[in-house]
Amino acid sequence: MRSPSLSSLRSGLLDRLVAVALVVGTIAWLLGTEGREGFGRDEAQYMRAGERYWGWFEEIGRDLSAGHLSEAFTAATIDRYWSDNAPDHPVVMKTLYGLSWRAFHRCTCLGPARGLHPIPVRGRHVTIPLFARDSTAFRFPAILMAGLLAWLVFWFSRQLVPRAAAAAAAVMTIAQPHYFFHAPIACFDAPITTMAFAVGYAYWKSLRSARWGLACGVVFGLALGVKHNAWLMPFFLAVHYLWMRRGDLRRRVVTRVPLAFVSMAVMGPIVFFLHWPWLWHHPIDRTRSYLRRHLEHEHYNFEYLGRNWNLPPTDFDLKVLRTTFPFVSTALTVPVTTLGLAVVGAFALASRKRRAARPEQTDRLAPSGPEPRLSGESDRDANVLIGGAAALDPGARPSWLRPGADVDRAPGAFVAAQTFGPLAVLAIPSTPIFGGVKHFMPAMPYLAVAAGVGLAAVAGRLTAVLRARRVSAAAPAGALLAIVACVPAVVETRRSHPDGLSHYNMLAGGFAGGATLGMNRQFWAYCVLPMLDWVNGHAPQNRRMYWHDVLGDALSMYKREGRLDMSVGDTGFGEPGVERSEMGLIVHEKHWALYEKFIWDHYGHARPSLVRTREGVPLVVGYERTVPR
Amino acid sequence: MSTDPEPTRAEPAAPESISSPGSPGAPGSPAAPALSRSATILAIAGALALLVLAVAETAQALIAPGRAPSDADWIAAATDVRAGFRAGDLIVAAPVWADPLARRYLGDLMTVDMDARMDDARYGRVWEVSQRGERAPEAHGATTARHRFGALTVRLVERPPAVVTYDFLAHWKDARVTRWESVERVSLPCPWQGDRFGCPRGGTVRRELVEVDTRIRGALLAPPPGGAGPGPVPILAIEFPEVTLGRELVVTAGLHDVWARKYGRGTVNVEVWLGDRPVTSATIGNRSGWHPIRIDTSARDGQTAPVRVQISSPEPALRNLAFAAEARR
Repeated sequence: MRSPSLSSLRSGLLDRLVAVALVVGTIAWLLGTEGREGFGRDEAQYMRAGERYWGWFEEIGRDLSAGHLSEAFTAATIDRYWSDNAPDHPVVMKTLYGLSWRAFHRCTCLGPARGLHPIPVRGRHVTIPLFARDSTAFRFPAILMAGLLAWLVFWFSRQLVPRAAAAAAAVMTIAQPHYFFHAPIACFDAPITTMAFAVGYAYWKSLRSARWGLACGVVFGLALGVKHNAWLMPFFLAVHYLWMRRGDLRRRVVTRVPLAFVSMAVMGPIVFFLHWPWLWHHPIDRTRSYLRRHLEHEHYNFEYLGRNWNLPPTDFDLKVLRTTFPFVSTALTVPVTTLGLAVVGAFALASRKRRAARPEQTDRLAPSGPEPRLSGESDRDANVLIGGAAALDPGARPSWLRPGADVDRAPGAFVAAQTFGPLAVLAIPSTPIFGGVKHFMPAMPYLAVAAGVGLAAVAGRLTAVLRARRVSAAAPAGALLAIVACVPAVVETRRSHPDGLSHYNMLAGGFAGGATLGMNRQFWAYCVLPMLDWVNGHAPQNRRMYWHDVLGDALSMYKREGRLDMSVGDTGFGEPGVERSEMGLIVHEKHWALYEKFIWDHYGHARPSLVRTREGVPLVVGYERTVPR
Repeated sequence: MSTDPEPTRAEPAAPESISSPGSPGAPGSPAAPALSRSATILAIAGALALLVLAVAETAQALIAPGRAPSDADWIAAATDVRAGFRAGDLIVAAPVWADPLARRYLGDLMTVDMDARMDDARYGRVWEVSQRGERAPEAHGATTARHRFGALTVRLVERPPAVVTYDFLAHWKDARVTRWESVERVSLPCPWQGDRFGCPRGGTVRRELVEVDTRIRGALLAPPPGGAGPGPVPILAIEFPEVTLGRELVVTAGLHDVWARKYGRGTVNVEVWLGDRPVTSATIGNRSGWHPIRIDTSARDGQTAPVRVQISSPEPALRNLAFAAEARR
């Protein structure tokens, strides 16, 4: 028989191997599929901004060589580079996109697309040419962030459930069609999902570790630098914290503000300010303009249950309907098996047995035992975290440095707050919904954690039965069920790609079912990529091409990568753009009917030359002015 | 469920855990506890439920893509429709989101006028190209033919069509357009200006394709005129002097332009006059959609009478009222 320590070592090694496999698998899956996904409006802008930000680092190099480094830090120089896409979004990810592009693209920068770069190309770039396409190099940091999410979800789940279920939770996080759509692209929605989880994880650790309390602030600051969703994170954490320490309320004791929150309040703004050069010379004014940009963000158009929504509803019936949006969208987009397991997991978390000391009894306890580590916790640590109270030391005292040391950490409440928090915000009728699932995507990893808990509950019961009957297959039953749970999610996600935005789950009836229900079909006009050959094949008409919702930045990137002929034109936006065009595209979103009308008006017919579909559902329609035969 | 993260480890379960009854206290220990019958049934049922759900979802994900109509299906269905199509027939797709594909393959028959129709009442024969068992609301009546082409079904539906005794869009240039100044109580003529009627103090009427409720329609675009200040609002009056009435007069109205509906707030009053008296009115707002206003004219079937549509709004900004109308028998 092995000694417990050897077993523990082996278990820790296995955990690390599984975690690495999850990260590598996620990155490989995304790298293997991202090339089929076109450039959305926002992504193309972030690529442009990222490359321009890189220009500032080039400027630093030049100024340093010229002996006037301070020149790079003047307001004028900073604004020349960092005003791009400001005040819209902070720059952690965009900077990484720019740096990754600079490091890893295969330079053909002196070729015909030289003029399409947002900064002057002064010569051939020396790079590590990992990727054939510029866009893959831009996207690589986002893909790494998805790998990091798989890693974090596994290790967090590992503290709650066995290895197979924890791995399944990580897989079910990545294998969600809408998340998978966002995961590889050079935007912020998948990265902020990772950061939301990282902040939550750091907070969770901070409940019993002062070091993590300090780290939580830095992680939060980085999250603030990724996307403004981070503003909401403290509220969701506070809900859990107050629940966890509800015993204080019962005892009429003032609950102390924990170190993590203090750290977030102090370090968050500092990191946020330091990371964004655009703020440096005008911190107050520009922070204000950034906040206003999002607090007063316009409502774009979005289809939900057959209606086009572009303003907060004022009528009661529409308010009620609007409130259902995040919940119905979740129910119709997350793989059904994942959803089912999450429901089981929620029950398992809610009915967690409390066989040890109750929180209200723990204020008499002495300081707790050793704190868990970030990764590869020993199994003993994991057990400690499962139980919460199992880690309680009879001498533990309340402390703002380790505020979870003397109480059960209430993992159910934690997962619930992190899941329902983002959903609840998007259920408020006055919040914009134009981003669909991406706006509440930080909830999804926690939903997957709940699914992992559900899987562990099902597997645990089955294993117990098999063991009781001395069935030899008892040991691998958990792993087999984990595979069973992951297969539909992976298959469904694979099916959805690259049109994850248009995809709806088995409950909705897939692409077609979603369209019939009047669920949003897509946004950002990423979907034209498969139509580029058709466009390229229609010279010279394509010199006067109406691109509808496809931005010039996306066209530049398609041209830089050789996917679109350099001679293809762009007649501009709206009706004048249609009027000038010889051929055009209409991206199917409910409100774009107006622009199809312009085509019918000016082309004099309603017959498309090409309809791009997924499973029979039209996504993009191509028209030519001359009626096709 | 075991409280142990690793079932094969020889470690005790946490005393407070995400647990389920019947789980072994010490996984791997030789003495596994006996389980009750209900716990056993529950455990097996749970695992089976997971298995069934996973298999169903996986199968659906693998099979569903093959259920979509292929190009060959559309070509075959279009050939069938084309073979039986007669002038005046209507072609529709079901579900409606397949309409671009129907136009792709049958665009020579599906004219802009057909696609931008006011409604389907005038069509006696409707060709429905459907998939997944869906039905088009326009395809009501007796099914006289049905053919299946792969994932598509072509159905010919026949019913008595409405006889249009007067098409207001077709006769729109015959209209007399005036602007009624409610304060001054004078009616100002809005003369023909080449492609539209234009009023001297503002207000136009012209025929064009409009987008109402995210669908394209052929209509008269007649935004309510703005007034000079507070007080009674001006009225845009479009009078068709010689309308051959049938049993019903249908005026369908709505607000054009998704952006105008987003940023505009007011409502528009649409009042219909038959001869010298008002017969009905409707209030059109952002939620009205393409709203039919029906007037029973059976008592005057066959008679000729002037019909006037009066349009006004207390908040006329961005209120692009559009309407179409037919007298029918």
